[in-house]
Amino acid sequence: MCFRNLPIEFDAQGAATLKSGADPFGYQTKAIDRDPIKQLLGKNGYVKAVDFDPVTRVAGALAFHTAVDLKNRKVLEASSMATLFRGYEVILKGRDPRDAIFISSRACGVCGGVHSTCSALAIEMAFGICPPPLAIVIRNLALSMEFVWDNVMHLFMLAGPDFSEAMIKKTEPTLWDRATRTQTRWGSIHGYAKISDIFHDMNPLTGKLYLEGLELSRVAREGYVTLMSKYPHPETIVPGGVSHTVTIQSFNVYLNRLMKTFDFAKRAIGIWNDICDFFYDANEKYKECGTRPVNLADLGIWDDPTAYDATYANCNEWGERRWATPGVILDGKLVTSKLQQINLGMEEFIEHSYYEPWSGQPHKTDPLGAPLSPHHPWNKETKPKPTGMNWREKYSWSTAPRWDRVAVEAGTYARPWITVLAGKLPHRRFLDLTENSMKIQVPKHIAPEMELEWKIPPVFNAFERNRARAYSIAYQAVVAYDNWLIGMDILKKGDYRTSTPYTVPKDHRMAVGFWGAGRGWLSHHLELDKGAIVNYQIITPSTLNACPKDPWGNPGPYEEAVLATPILEEFDSPEKFKGIDILRAIRSFDPCMPCTTHIYAGDQTISCEVNTCACGADD
Amino acid sequence: MAETEMESNQAGGLALELDPLPPSLTRPLEKVYAFWLAGMSCDGCSISVTGASDPSVEDLLLGTIPGVPRVILYHPVLNGEAGEEFIHNFELAAQGKLDAPYVVILEGSAVDDSLIDGAGYWVGLGARPGKPSDDGSKVISVMEWIDRMAPGAAAMIAIGTCATWGGIPAAEGNPTGAMGLMDYLGKDYRSAFGLPVINIPGCAPVGDNFTEVVAMVLHFLQGTGPLPEFDELGRPAWQFHHTVHERCVRGGYYEGGVFAEKYGDPECLVELGCWGPVVQCNIVERGAIRHHGGCMNQGGICIGCTMPGFPDKFTPFYKEPPGATVSTNTSKNVGRVIRFLRRLSQNHQNRETRWDRESDTPSGWALEKHGDPLFGRLADFFYRKMQFHEAIKPGRSIPETKFRDGYEVKNKRLQDERNGPAEEMVPGYVRRRAKLERDGNRMAV
Repeated sequence: MCFRNLPIEFDAQGAATLKSGADPFGYQTKAIDRDPIKQLLGKNGYVKAVDFDPVTRVAGALAFHTAVDLKNRKVLEASSMATLFRGYEVILKGRDPRDAIFISSRACGVCGGVHSTCSALAIEMAFGICPPPLAIVIRNLALSMEFVWDNVMHLFMLAGPDFSEAMIKKTEPTLWDRATRTQTRWGSIHGYAKISDIFHDMNPLTGKLYLEGLELSRVAREGYVTLMSKYPHPETIVPGGVSHTVTIQSFNVYLNRLMKTFDFAKRAIGIWNDICDFFYDANEKYKECGTRPVNLADLGIWDDPTAYDATYANCNEWGERRWATPGVILDGKLVTSKLQQINLGMEEFIEHSYYEPWSGQPHKTDPLGAPLSPHHPWNKETKPKPTGMNWREKYSWSTAPRWDRVAVEAGTYARPWITVLAGKLPHRRFLDLTENSMKIQVPKHIAPEMELEWKIPPVFNAFERNRARAYSIAYQAVVAYDNWLIGMDILKKGDYRTSTPYTVPKDHRMAVGFWGAGRGWLSHHLELDKGAIVNYQIITPSTLNACPKDPWGNPGPYEEAVLATPILEEFDSPEKFKGIDILRAIRSFDPCMPCTTHIYAGDQTISCEVNTCACGADD
Repeated sequence: MAETEMESNQAGGLALELDPLPPSLTRPLEKVYAFWLAGMSCDGCSISVTGASDPSVEDLLLGTIPGVPRVILYHPVLNGEAGEEFIHNFELAAQGKLDAPYVVILEGSAVDDSLIDGAGYWVGLGARPGKPSDDGSKVISVMEWIDRMAPGAAAMIAIGTCATWGGIPAAEGNPTGAMGLMDYLGKDYRSAFGLPVINIPGCAPVGDNFTEVVAMVLHFLQGTGPLPEFDELGRPAWQFHHTVHERCVRGGYYEGGVFAEKYGDPECLVELGCWGPVVQCNIVERGAIRHHGGCMNQGGICIGCTMPGFPDKFTPFYKEPPGATVSTNTSKNVGRVIRFLRRLSQNHQNRETRWDRESDTPSGWALEKHGDPLFGRLADFFYRKMQFHEAIKPGRSIPETKFRDGYEVKNKRLQDERNGPAEEMVPGYVRRRAKLERDGNRMAV
C-alpha cells in the first residue's frame, strides 16, 4: 500500500481503485498564522527578518525570507520565493507537438538537454513510437555526461565557495584555525595534507579546485556537444530518437572526454568526505544544518535499450530497468518503485503561488484506468495571475507539488539512495549494491581503477547532500562508460539506426515523459488532440525543492531544511551576521548558478552581502 | 551612407558613426564594472559564457589579458531603498557615482509590467523590505533596474535571443508581453558613450561570441583596437554577417543536390527542417564550445535561434521550410550534372600519378579497382590540359628550369625512360630486393 493520504487503493493484482466518498480528493486549507512572528519582530530584540534576495537565478530565480532568533540561534520562519515566471506551459498550449522539444528545453539553461529528452519521451509515448537502441544509448551518454559537469559545477563553483578559506575565515574563524591543524583522511586520493589546504583551493576564481572544476566543466561539455551539437539546448534530440550522425569518431571523442572525469570523480569524493567529517568533528550540531525527514522522490533515468518501449502500459517494467531506479522514499523507507504509482501520487497546489485555480477534472483516470486526482498535472491548467507578495497568502511563482500530500525532495542524491533501497539495479558491470550502499568501480585513467562505496548516511543534511553529490559524479561517469561500451557493441552489430519514423497523430492522446534533471525528478505531462498540444505540464526538481507551503501550511523542502538549521556562525553583533548556515542549507539542494547573494535590510532587518562566486572575488 | 543601404536582412557595414574615443576617456581604463541582469532568462547564456575560451570568463575577471582592463562582474541585485550604509555598486551605478565606467548585460527578455493589475511582477530582482507588521516585501521588477541603469551605462549589451529580440518567452500565446531590450528601450536609446544596444543573439549564444565582443570593445576603449563593427541590428558584424549555410559542413551536399531523408543521415538537412540557408550565425565554423559541436556539424537542424523571427517564424520545427522546395529541386537537378563531373575528377584525384603510369592501383582494399578506364583517361587528358593551360606543370619541362651540365635526378631520368607503354605495377620492396641481390648483400633482404 503505497499511499497513506490519497484515496487510492490497490488490489492483490496491483490494480488501483478509488476509495468511496463524496469528494475523495477534497481538502480543507489551513491558514498561515504570522502574528506571533510579527510580535517578535516588532519588539526589535534578537529576532530579525533576514532576507536573501536573490539566492539564485536558475530553474526559477530564488529569493528567501527568514525570521531568525539570533540569541537562541534558531530560524523561526522561512519562505521560499521563486521570483520568475516565463510561461512555457502557456506558450506550448495550442502548438504542434514537435515544437515542445526545442521550446521546453529553454525552461532551463543549466541542463536544457534533460527537458528536450523528457519532452521527446512524452511525444514518443503519445505518437506510439520507440527510439532504436543506439538513440537510447546516445541520450544516456549525453545525459550522464551532463550531470557529471553539473555536479562538478555545483560542488566547486556554487556550494564550494561556502567551504572556502575566503568564506570560513569570515564566518567561522575558529573553524579555520582548527582546519590549519587538522590532517586529512583521504589525502592519498586527493593529495591534500591539511583541511585548510582544501579550503584554500576552494577559493572562488583563484582556487585550484575552483579552476580545475571550471576546466572539467568545459571538457565534459565538449563530450556532450559531440553528440548533442550545443550546450545548453541540444539540437539533435528528435521525436523518435536523435539526429546525431553517428560515426566511431563520436564515440572516440566522447571517451577521451569521459576518461578525464574519472580521476576528478575519485578526488572529489575524497575532498567532500574530508569536508563533511571535518565539520562533524568540529561540532556535532553541523549535522542539523539543512536536515529534514528523508522524503525523496525520483523518476529514474537512463533507459535500458533492451527494455524501453515508450509505452505507459509497461512503464513499471522498463522503469525498473533504468540505471537509476524510480522510487519514492518517505521517512527513510521506500514506498514504491513503480512509475505508474509515482505518477498517480503527484499533485500540484497553488494556494501560495501566483496562479488562478483551475476547475473541473477532465481526466478521472490515467490511461490504464487508475484514479487520478483533480490536482494531478494531467488535470492541471496553468493560469498565471501576478499579485503582491504576501507570506500568508501568495508569495511564489513556484507551485507546491506534493506526493501523497507530502513534501518530497528531488536531488542527484535521490538516485543512488532509491536505487540502493529498491535493490533492483540490473546493470552491475561497474555498479554493485549492498543493503545500504552502492559500490562504484571507477575505471583507471592516470589514477588506478578504484572501488568507492557510498553508504546511506545515518543523518540527512546539507553535508550529506553534498557528499552524495560527489559520489554521484562517479556514479554518472560509470553509467556513461557502461553505455559507451553498449553503444560500441551496437555499432559492432552494424545497427546505426538513430531514429524511428512517425506521423503526428490527429486523435486524442495522453502521455508523460518520466526523466531526471541534474537535480533529480523531471516530468513532462502532455495531452494532444487534433494534432495540437491541449495541455503541457512540467514539474522540475526545483519546483519540488523550492516550492512554497502547501494548502495545509506545511513547508516545502528548502523551507523545512532552513527551519531545522541551527545558527552556528560566529558573529560579534547582529550587523555582522551573514547567514552562512542558512545559505549552506539552501545551496546543498543545488539551486544553481554562480551569483552573489545579497541580504538586505531596512530598519528592522539585517543586511549583509555574501559572495558565492567569481562575481565577488574582488571583495 | 552607401554602406548601410544593403539588403535589409543582411549584416551590413557600420550603421552608425561613432567617435573613435568617447570624450570621457582621457586615459586607459584599469577596470570596468559589469552588471549582469536577468530578465525572463533560463541562465543558458551565463552557462554558455562559462564555456568560452577566447577569452575565458576568468581571463576577463582576473584581468590577465594584456592591455585589457579588469572586468568586475556583478550578478547580484540589491534593494535601492535600503539604508545608506548598504548602498552597493548597483545603486552607485544607477546614481552615476562609480569610479569607473559600467556596462549592463541583460540575459533574458524584458517584460511588459503594464499587463499586471495592481501589485505583482513577472520577474523580480531584489525587494524593498516591509515593516514587521507587513506580511511581505515589495518585489522590485527587473525593469526598474533597467530604467535606472540604462542612461548612465557605457553600453547596454543584450546577450542571447531572449534579450536581443524577445525569443521564446515572447513567442505567440505568451502571457508576459516579453520583448527584446531594444524593444523596451526604443529606437532612440543611446548609452552614455553614445551606443545603441549591442546585440549578441543565439539560444544559447556561442560563449566566445560574447567574450570576444567584450574584449574587443575594451581594446577599442583602450585605444589599441579598431571600433568593432556592428550591423544594422547591432550584431557583431564579423560574427553574424554570414549565414550558417555559407559555412556549413553539409553545404556541399546541398550544392550536389543530396539531402538527408531521415534523422541521423550525413547529408544536407534542409528537407528535414533546417533553416541554415537564411539564418545568420557562426556556430558551425566556431563550434559550440572550444570548436566542438555546432548544430549541423553533429546532425542538428538549424531552427533559426539567432534570428529575430525565432521561434514562431521557424515552427513547426522539423517541417521543411516552405521556400526550400524550389531551391532544393533546383539544386537536385543542377547537382546531378555537377556530381557526375565531380565524381569523374574525384576518381582521378584519388590516383597517384605513378598509378596512372602503371595503370593499376596498389590497394588491397579495392581489388576491383585496377586500371583507369579509357573514358577516365580521356577526361583526365583534357582536365590536365585545362589545369596547366597558362600554368606551370610540376616538373622541369621548361628549358630554363633544367639543371646545368645535363644533370637530372636519377628517378626522373628513369621515369622518362620508362615513359613508354604502361609497365606492370611492381611493389617497391621487389625493386629493393633486386638491388640487394645485385649488390650481393643477402643478409639485408
